[in-house]
Amino acid sequence: MQPILSVHNLNKYYGNQVGCKNMNLTLYPGEVVGVVGESGSGKTTFINSISGNLIPDSGKILIETGNETIDFLEISESLKRLLIRTELAFVHQNPRDGLRLDISAGGNISERLMSIGQRNYGNIRQTIFKWLDKVEIDKSRVDDFPRTFSGGMLQRLQIAKNLVTSPKIIFMDEPTGGLDVSVQAKILDLLRKLVRELNLSVVIVSHDLAVIRLLADKIIVMKNGEAVESGLCDQVLDDPQHSYTQLLVSSVLQV
Amino acid sequence: MNNILKFKNKKTDVAAQDEIYNFAYLDENTKRMIRRALIKALCIPGYQVPFSSREMPMPYGWGTGGVQVTSSCLTTDDVIKVIDQGADDTTNAVSIRNFFKKTANIETTEKTSQASIIQTRHRIPEEKLKEKQILVYQVPIPEPLAFLEPRYQETKKMHALSEYGIMHVKLYEDITKNGHIETAYAYPVKTNERYIMDPSPIPKFDNPKMNNNPAIQLFGAGREQRIYAIPPYTEVTSLDFEDYPFDPSKAPHKCSICGSNESFLDEIITDDDGNRSFICSDTNYCNQRMENN
Repeated sequence: MQPILSVHNLNKYYGNQVGCKNMNLTLYPGEVVGVVGESGSGKTTFINSISGNLIPDSGKILIETGNETIDFLEISESLKRLLIRTELAFVHQNPRDGLRLDISAGGNISERLMSIGQRNYGNIRQTIFKWLDKVEIDKSRVDDFPRTFSGGMLQRLQIAKNLVTSPKIIFMDEPTGGLDVSVQAKILDLLRKLVRELNLSVVIVSHDLAVIRLLADKIIVMKNGEAVESGLCDQVLDDPQHSYTQLLVSSVLQV
Repeated sequence: MNNILKFKNKKTDVAAQDEIYNFAYLDENTKRMIRRALIKALCIPGYQVPFSSREMPMPYGWGTGGVQVTSSCLTTDDVIKVIDQGADDTTNAVSIRNFFKKTANIETTEKTSQASIIQTRHRIPEEKLKEKQILVYQVPIPEPLAFLEPRYQETKKMHALSEYGIMHVKLYEDITKNGHIETAYAYPVKTNERYIMDPSPIPKFDNPKMNNNPAIQLFGAGREQRIYAIPPYTEVTSLDFEDYPFDPSKAPHKCSICGSNESFLDEIITDDDGNRSFICSDTNYCNQRMENN
């Protein structure tokens, strides 16, 4: 099987500061890769660099679309943006970054559909309802503005907005950050369900080991902009080799 | 100053004009710069060309963009017509017409068919335009995406890459809220199957007139410093949905002066009891019909 996304020797510097250094990643279809590390370890820089939000200084990003392999850093801006709004999706930590707050929930979900050329209001409306149902938002809220939604609902709306065009690769930057524990659990449940149901390939960034353990198949542990350890999720978390990973695992609160 | 500006004869007074104002107010270098922008705009229908808009002797919002475009297009042989919401006799129309009479000493007219340049605010004349006529629109906000995406850099990118999904989101919201597309003026169009363009705040009733029009259509936005254009016989389509097609719409009334069933109407409240009457917004069209009957 071909990996759907592979990243080779990716570097991103901010002046002399290291953003992330020598990063590698292979993501197979239907697989979830988690990236963990403390604040400032370069997780977000890494996910932004591989999703098109940031331009890395060097490295290679290959995306397999099914009929061809695309060199993500070499393609034209227009093809890149087309990929970003069709094949890729980015779920922000703060749903307000990924949503248009002065446009109704339905309008938010419809944007990607219309940007790929759907022009039938009735059909678009049907798709919106289908997705609201999938992310467990009541259909009666379809015409309400996101600003009237709770934090958890906003995050679910953002997920629906991103998944509506069935993207191949989904990037998530702390999707449960800033939510209270019970809402976090609901979002995680939903994500786990969607990942299995739709066979999504996901790169997820989180500082929360529990989130990663629940969702991810493979894990990359970052410190100071570099990957210190990577491998199968359970293996790394149950038998951490690197001292930093050991520290990370041992500092999880036991309730 | 008025005495000096009273030209007796177009040709002999060119020298006299130069001492006060250049022909049609703007200096030749500025006109050249604007003509370059106009040519570029005509080559890329619907694309907004930046130009260094000049301070004009009128406030922004009164047609400074349109005046600069008209000024750059004028020749001594031109006959100019100026309309404001279709009317030849409103303040904006009268003052701009006088402005060009004074600074260019050219012939003016109210008859659409006789004008070679028509400067307009918010209407397209009812009478069909012909080849060799130029229609100059005054534009307040040239960017059709402005209210959806406030970052100019981003809208530029969206135009360059034809990322126009968001434009339909606006129409989607309209249908969702009102059951139909509520936008009634400045209704977005796609020009030559490429650029999405704001047709300036003309009623959507006028949108179909832009399509395949034999005249040159130029758009000038003075404050926003943008010029765009539709060359003659260019396809201009109004955005819509398959199941909610574009509808130009028209008030279901006749003009109470000339009886026209086809023209765009102004609604006028005639007394304190709320009685209304509808009259043509295009005064020249209405007058011509009265004269012919």
